Amino acid sequence: MTLAIETSALTKRYGSTTALDGMDLAVPEGSIVGMIGPNGAGKTTTMRLLLDLIRPTSGTARVLGEDPRSGGPTLRRRIGFLPGELRLEGRVTGRAMLRHFERISGPVAPGRIDELADRFGLDLTRHVRKLSKGNKQKLGLVQAFMHSPPLLVLDEPTSGLDPLVQQEFLAMLREVRANGQTVFLSSHVLSEIEQVADTVAILRAGRIVTVSDVESLRLTAVRRVRLGVRGMDAAQLVTALAAVPHVSGIRVDAATGRAHLTVDGDIDPLIKAISHYEVTDLIAEEPDLEESVLGLYGTQEASHVD
Amino acid sequence: MSTEAPTRAARGRGAATGHTRTSPLPLFRRALADSWRSLIAWSIGIAAAIALYLPLYPSLAATSEMQSLIDSLPPELINALGYYSLATGAGYTQSTFYGLIGFLLFTIAAVSWGTAAVAGDEESGSLELTLAHGVSRGQLVLERSAAIAVRLAWLGLWASALIIAITDSAELDLEPGNVLAASAALVGLTLVTASVGVAVGAITGRKLYSTAGAAGVAVLGYAINAVANQTPDLDWLHRFSPYDWAFGGLPLAEGADPGALLALYGIAAALIAVGAIALGRRDVSP
Repeated sequence: MTLAIETSALTKRYGSTTALDGMDLAVPEGSIVGMIGPNGAGKTTTMRLLLDLIRPTSGTARVLGEDPRSGGPTLRRRIGFLPGELRLEGRVTGRAMLRHFERISGPVAPGRIDELADRFGLDLTRHVRKLSKGNKQKLGLVQAFMHSPPLLVLDEPTSGLDPLVQQEFLAMLREVRANGQTVFLSSHVLSEIEQVADTVAILRAGRIVTVSDVESLRLTAVRRVRLGVRGMDAAQLVTALAAVPHVSGIRVDAATGRAHLTVDGDIDPLIKAISHYEVTDLIAEEPDLEESVLGLYGTQEASHVD
Repeated sequence: MSTEAPTRAARGRGAATGHTRTSPLPLFRRALADSWRSLIAWSIGIAAAIALYLPLYPSLAATSEMQSLIDSLPPELINALGYYSLATGAGYTQSTFYGLIGFLLFTIAAVSWGTAAVAGDEESGSLELTLAHGVSRGQLVLERSAAIAVRLAWLGLWASALIIAITDSAELDLEPGNVLAASAALVGLTLVTASVGVAVGAITGRKLYSTAGAAGVAVLGYAINAVANQTPDLDWLHRFSPYDWAFGGLPLAEGADPGALLALYGIAAALIAVGAIALGRRDVSP
């Protein structure tokens, strides 16, 4: 398996602050890998290290087989980068700005810029500084995608995009993966990338807490369940359910008589347990990976995730 | 595209589009394209200064009233301003435009451009995205500095052309070659100022330090010259003033001083080289 990105004990310190603490990460070529974590976890630091905007205190990184620093401009032409804090200024139109970025990145296929702008619904004739945050973000995405680089490094790409454009963006990610390109992206909300990411690395305080594929994360995920059972009052229902493994947070709605609960992990014991009763209603929601991730952060960090 | 192991993407779309289009000096061209409005504004300001001051020469400086006014001023002030030869066209043009208002305008432009080139761009957060592309840090400093040099040179040529155009009507009696020599000195002097801004910006990444460094060098050069003018005992101070290197040889009257020009442009080049190396060695802030 060829790796598009490989870091080994990658560490970045600023004085006494450790922004990144010995990160070992492997991003296989042709895959979509997401990095999830609260603000300050080291996502942006990692990406800036890969682009040689900052240099590691220790450890190494290989990007498309090269060291970011010695790879230099030639290597960066083969990367599409979207910064987390995208600031675009200037009294130029979006098209003029993209033409400039084209001159300092890889070659752009004819018509490619218009095709991308159309898909995002971005008006290239407007002046950049007059664009809204969402439209600036679209412009940032176009400059990252336009030269079809072998590797895309996208820091919080979905921030500021409305849901429709987010879907278009996710569709585009699937296309570039099918094209053999590699995508390394970050988000502080898992739900935005869980549909496309092959693998998710969860970061906390400069360390990778876990690397997992989305499917395994789903298996350990928290599900919300709503349950109605005939012939049991609230107290009986609570008592019966409380004994079931993986079940917690039981609450019975007085008006409807239905129980609301969460299942943490395996749902089978609950199904077996309720099969003895006369079930009138059962809804198990799509697993909320967000909550699973929050569980990994621990409660004290949970408040940082917004 | 490259000789490294081709990725699937490179074999796919990359191969289809084939050629690598490199356009020369992309950052230099972008810097010029982004600044044409400001360059026009500076050109208008300089034209206004020239049009306001120089045509007054026949009615002001060449008259005995002006000379008696100057004689009534404290000699220290005359020395500080370098107003001893207001009675000649060269002296008047040097004292009013090259030594004062022109120097001020060129200096302000140089400080703002020198600060914006690296530190301003970095603090606004735009430098990061540029450097994430296929350009090197050194290339960025060199190309943007070259764009500053071109802009200052344009202002110098523009000022020269205007002064040469009015020298007869304003009775200044200036040699065109000497006007160009004085402009070359002014451009060299303010290019040193801009280069300090570029170098400090490249080393620190801070706008404040960059501006303070550039403006500080300009003000200090002027101040040292003013102090050194006071008495022959302090004459040795002149050699520490870039302002004196530029104008001490009276280029408007005497013509170009090649040694001084070489020193000014050489120092500017050295400062830019320092900036190019320094930016390559540090982290770029987000």
